[in-house]
Amino acid sequence: HATEAPAPEWQLTGRVVSSKGEGLPGVTVALKGTTRGVTTGVDGSFALSVPETAGTLVFSFVGFQTVERPFNGTQSFDITLQDDTKALEEVVVVGYGTQKRSDVTGAIATLDATKLEERPITRVDQALVGQLAGVQVQQNTGLPGRGFNIQVRGNGSITANNQPLYVIDGFPLEGTSPNGNGNFATGSPLDNINPNDIQSIEVLKDAAAAAIYGSRAANGVILVTTKRGKTGKPQISFNTYAGISQQANRLDLLSPEEWVTRSTQIINSAWVRSGTGRTADQTTAQRMAILNRTTIDPALMIDDRWLDPNHEGLAYIDWQDEIFRTGKVQNYQVSASGATNNVNYFLSGNYTNQQGIVIGVDYKRYSGRANVEVKASDKLKFGLNMTPTYSVSRDPGVEGKDNLAQKFITMVPVAEASAGIYSNYGENDRYLWAGSSISPVGELQNRQQRTTTFRSLSSMYGEYELVRHLRARVSVNLDNTDARSKSYIPNSKLVGSGATGTYSGYRKQAFVNENTLTYANVIGDKHDISALAGYSYNFFKTETDKLKSSGGFVNSAVTTLNGATNITGTADNGTSETQNVLISYFGRLQYAYMGKYLLTASVRRDGSSRFGSERRWGVFPAASVGWRISQENFMQNVTPVSDLKLRGSFGMSGNNGIGDYSSVPTLGIYNYSFGGAVASGQAPNKAPNAQLQWEKSRTFDVGLDLGLIKNRVYASLDYYTKTSKDLLLNVPRVSASGYESQLVNIGEVQNRGWEVELKTRNLASGGFEWNTSLNFAHNQNEVKHLGPGDATIEIPSPYGASSTLLMVGQPMYSFYAIKQTGILTQADVDGGAPVIQGETVGDPKYLDANGDGVITDQDRVIIGRPSPKYTWGVTNTFSYKGFDLSVLVQGQNGGQLYSLIGRAIDNSGMGYNQNVLGTQRDRWISPEQPGAGLRGKANINFSPLKSDSWLYSTNYVRVRNITLGYNLGNVISKRVAQGARVYFSMENFFGHDNYTGGYNVDAVNSDTGGGGFSVGTDYGGLPLTKSMTLGLNVTF
Amino acid sequence: CEDLNQAPLSSGSVPTFYKSADDFNQGLNAAYNSLRAWPDRTLTMSETRSDNIYGVSAQGIRTWEPINNFSLGVVANEYPADAWSADYLAIYRANILLDQLEQNGTVLTDATRKGFDAQARFLRAFFYFDLVRYFGKVPLVDKPLEPQEVAKIGRTPVADLYTLIINDLQTAAANLPASYATTDVGRATSGAAKSLLALVYMTRSGSTYGSVQGPGLGTNDYATALTLLNDVINGGQYQLITAAGTSPNAYANVFSYTNENNREVIFDVQYISGGVGLGASYPSILVTNNYFTSIGVGTTFGTGDELRPASNSLLNSYGTGDLRKAVNFQVGYTAGTAVETRAAFKKYINGTLRGTTRTDWPINFIVLRYADVLLLKAECLLRTGDQAGALALVNQIRRRAYGLAITTPSTVADLTSLTLDQLLEERRREFAGEGIRWHDLVRSGRAVDVMNAWVVADDASNRIRKPLTANDVLYPVPQQELAASSYSYEQNPGYN
Repeated sequence: HATEAPAPEWQLTGRVVSSKGEGLPGVTVALKGTTRGVTTGVDGSFALSVPETAGTLVFSFVGFQTVERPFNGTQSFDITLQDDTKALEEVVVVGYGTQKRSDVTGAIATLDATKLEERPITRVDQALVGQLAGVQVQQNTGLPGRGFNIQVRGNGSITANNQPLYVIDGFPLEGTSPNGNGNFATGSPLDNINPNDIQSIEVLKDAAAAAIYGSRAANGVILVTTKRGKTGKPQISFNTYAGISQQANRLDLLSPEEWVTRSTQIINSAWVRSGTGRTADQTTAQRMAILNRTTIDPALMIDDRWLDPNHEGLAYIDWQDEIFRTGKVQNYQVSASGATNNVNYFLSGNYTNQQGIVIGVDYKRYSGRANVEVKASDKLKFGLNMTPTYSVSRDPGVEGKDNLAQKFITMVPVAEASAGIYSNYGENDRYLWAGSSISPVGELQNRQQRTTTFRSLSSMYGEYELVRHLRARVSVNLDNTDARSKSYIPNSKLVGSGATGTYSGYRKQAFVNENTLTYANVIGDKHDISALAGYSYNFFKTETDKLKSSGGFVNSAVTTLNGATNITGTADNGTSETQNVLISYFGRLQYAYMGKYLLTASVRRDGSSRFGSERRWGVFPAASVGWRISQENFMQNVTPVSDLKLRGSFGMSGNNGIGDYSSVPTLGIYNYSFGGAVASGQAPNKAPNAQLQWEKSRTFDVGLDLGLIKNRVYASLDYYTKTSKDLLLNVPRVSASGYESQLVNIGEVQNRGWEVELKTRNLASGGFEWNTSLNFAHNQNEVKHLGPGDATIEIPSPYGASSTLLMVGQPMYSFYAIKQTGILTQADVDGGAPVIQGETVGDPKYLDANGDGVITDQDRVIIGRPSPKYTWGVTNTFSYKGFDLSVLVQGQNGGQLYSLIGRAIDNSGMGYNQNVLGTQRDRWISPEQPGAGLRGKANINFSPLKSDSWLYSTNYVRVRNITLGYNLGNVISKRVAQGARVYFSMENFFGHDNYTGGYNVDAVNSDTGGGGFSVGTDYGGLPLTKSMTLGLNVTF
Repeated sequence: CEDLNQAPLSSGSVPTFYKSADDFNQGLNAAYNSLRAWPDRTLTMSETRSDNIYGVSAQGIRTWEPINNFSLGVVANEYPADAWSADYLAIYRANILLDQLEQNGTVLTDATRKGFDAQARFLRAFFYFDLVRYFGKVPLVDKPLEPQEVAKIGRTPVADLYTLIINDLQTAAANLPASYATTDVGRATSGAAKSLLALVYMTRSGSTYGSVQGPGLGTNDYATALTLLNDVINGGQYQLITAAGTSPNAYANVFSYTNENNREVIFDVQYISGGVGLGASYPSILVTNNYFTSIGVGTTFGTGDELRPASNSLLNSYGTGDLRKAVNFQVGYTAGTAVETRAAFKKYINGTLRGTTRTDWPINFIVLRYADVLLLKAECLLRTGDQAGALALVNQIRRRAYGLAITTPSTVADLTSLTLDQLLEERRREFAGEGIRWHDLVRSGRAVDVMNAWVVADDASNRIRKPLTANDVLYPVPQQELAASSYSYEQNPGYN
């Protein structure tokens, strides 16, 4: 071509602004039908030369409605782009994509997480408490930084995993159930995730929504979407809060004076019984003379100093006052975000520090995030999400059986004045009447137990439009967690020789590669079709290691294991590895006709290395339909109804949450020694089952979405049944087989219930606005089938007879114990009332359920169920001028808790050398002083059985959060900051429950199961934390 | 997909394991491993059940109390449940090995295979005998079977169980060596098999208790037992320890930490300390921390159970000058300000040579010793009318107990005549704390009378169920086994 003179051109200029009048940078200004175009500058202005031909300019920008303007010569334009509200409001994240809210046919609950910045919470799971119908969130521990137990629509699995699948920005991460001790042994997928980085959380509750995740979806799927940059000016945000935290409640224990009274009774009674002619009014000196001894026997003699009104020489101690403290909490977050047509970014850094409410407990987290997406061309984009995080948590071993919480609760409230709160610690001897308990204050202050966790969650993806409407996406994801725990426990005399130490940790890796093809098109303005096909490869590996000291430490100065006397032994020391592979193919079709008739169908085929070779692959189909009645012509005149949709769905999903090698007949190490030398031994350690396969879950769901008065009232109702079968169950086997249990696919559990979500704008006038959001859910759990012959399974307990069982027709893990009906009177005894061998007047009276005339474990009956029947949450928000107030109240009803800490501290059989609950104050003392009729006399002469005395209701109402905020926008110049807000927030400050046997109704810290079942219970858990914080959000 | 075939990374698996002599040996060692918890069980299930211990705790309710006080709640108690399941786990390990020897044993030499087979049979018989003595009828399982198949096997009559036990022990006695090289000391020997077989015959010959189907069938096998015992005695492999060595006296020297594997030991459970998980816990279970404190080792042992003190009747049984009393018990001690007046079993405790924790003692537990063989022979002689022969054997034991030469008659130590009750009482003194007493009472037919008389005399706190009956000779079938069998196992009488 020869060079031609440039054709004469028209100059088109102008400025593009938003509806608020602010200049919009980055808007594409294109000449229609050509590739010619420019983008607007920082203030929204543009200039474009075009050939001298009449044409049309197209102004387009993500999130705004596109505008077209004709021209016929050099011209200047003033363009205002309107928000594309349709696009902004109505998209929800579903598995492998998004869907218009109006087209959703499954049961999906959404939490807008942007408000989380205004609450002093440190975890994403904490944010879910009380927010979504059918999503039960339990805080099993009072320790900061620990994972919560989340159940979607009840528990459908008896022994396998019951936690939902988490998908963070498209990266599926398997959760594992917390163990019976309430801990996530190798972490929770939500560990170290900064809640301030979260944009929204979607919970896929029914199989139609979740089945695209196939063999891992039976417990629901939680999709977490992190923040992205917003188009417009780059935003720099600074969020901070600081405040204090305290224990939310106290236990009513005997005061020192009351303990003295009770102990005196026990000791005198033992003295009187110990021989003829011995009376309670004999002094300690007289008793020593009678026994011809020069030292005090605390079982038979009291401390004379108790009689002194000033108890000279003794310290009276309230251990709860000594253990608990006011902790400080603080949090800082800086983020920068923005978007142009080519790059979208969100960067943040966060530091949070929670000082625990108990001496020696705290949690710190440092986290960063970079979400960057680059649009390389109209067809190609790629992105990278990186989240490096680091946390440090310290816990001296507070919760659970024989740990420090149990010890400070049961510790005698009296000590030698010389020892005080350091009784039986360091140089101090124990108090003669105080059993062997060691000062919990000394322990908390001197134990060093620390876990550091470095976790890095990274995803990289590319997306390419192969042809119009058809996009291919490839993602590579890696989640790597490295956790290290160090523990050094000095002995009570603080000498190195009695100390124990461990150094342990784990590395957990999840590698996921996903490849999808998506087709989306609207044909003829009526047929909205989208289709998805995909393949994914998942590899999970966990490595653990542990080193433990033996024979104490050389001295107490060096607390790392090089200071240990020895590190030997195969039992505690060593490393282990476990891995599994999951390969999946999946597809989905979504179709909407004129936005009225909706259909979604999906199928996934999963293969997992966890199952026997014959049963390795499973197929999980699902379908759902919807009818948007409000779009029908006949509804157009029914103005009060702004939205009405009927939904129905059916689908299958699975649960593969068992160990990696459960189908393999593995060998365990069982060594012996001959002639003083170790002799290695190996033998099978579990009954194999080559037929082992997934648990299958079948969900049926019908729902109704209703919007009234321009959606000022919006309600969503669902009814569902979820039937889980082929449950992985450790069926008890006769021990004569060599195994006490065997893992088989047997059993069936059904969860059925209904859910209501209601959002209302109650008032909006004169600058005052009041909104309410309410969720209410009912779930009924029922065991339908068990092992051979549907035989009831009593879960073995390490503490006497089983108090938990699985029985057809009852909720899972129902409680089972004898029932107390009162206190035995003389008339009862004379009348031959059934008693436990050895019981007399003043001991508890029990129900003789089997009518055989004696009380034994055969008289156990079902007394309760662990899961609540109803869970609910209400959030009210008010705003007036610059002020806003939000109040979240939540609760649950209809469940019970069988508390072993209650049994340990509220048991008449407990001796003088420990403290007991306040309920023992009102025990039976004599026929004239019968007490409250609940607790028998202090000196017992029978072996107590597990009874309903330690069954508590888990009903509670809790004001989880109150936040009062004030917008400083009116005070601070826009030039200084775009927005600024201060707020005051109270977490967990008010509430009520009936759990008197411990601190926290949801506490789980000790496994009392056996035979392959884990039954978590409270054996000394900390109270929840209540906190008061002051916060500031500033956006520049 | 190849990726879906994942083998365990940190453990072996059955199909690929039994390939060499060492593999089979490891399978056998795992069966021996089942012995490790046996002494603890026997001290609870036999010693604590008997009149040797008055274990009423002053504070709190301990899990072993239903054993001691004959509560009917023992049906759900962990100890009988553990005895049942642990014995069967041991039997299963023996069965697995015997099965693998049959299937894949051709890789072994004939001698090796026979040796492994004989040891596995000894262990299988040992644990079946344990089951029979505590529970009477139990299901007979002699090869590895699917758990569902085993559930169909009911409680097998005691006589049939004896057939298996006797067959196994006869094979073992024929094929086991008389002794081992130092590195294998602790494995079953022919002497151990013969001694155990004699005890089995004598137990089978023991009293029946009416309709209770216990271990005694009254079969009168004393002559057969006597032959076996004489074999052991005449074999010259064993002898009574008569030298004090580094211990205060010869009796103490039998249990000395520095005299393990001595010539009085016929079969023992072996332990080593050092925190490798192979130490013994049984020395700790009858005593408290305060006892450890009193001997100056308390601070490193953590919290423990309460004292299970020796009963007054046991303590009073020892005559003046009987050295065994001071070896077996510490009567009264102080730990700081705490004063204990009751007697602690200290027989197996050496504070100086202790392990790293209360479950890491290095001391072996003697299951069968030569003194037992001598007294069992005395019992056979007495049962068959040879009182003088029996008396001579008993007096040997008594003379050692009094620190005298065992062959020299003594006016202090010697008995002049011997009844079965006297022999029983002598065994009680000699084997105190060795888990033998309850079985002796049951075998002799005296269990109900002796226990009831003892309860009247010693139960000061009135905690023991009374009166005891023949039903109490057996433990109940544990609740969890009844449930696992879908209640197809019938319960022993008196526990329904």
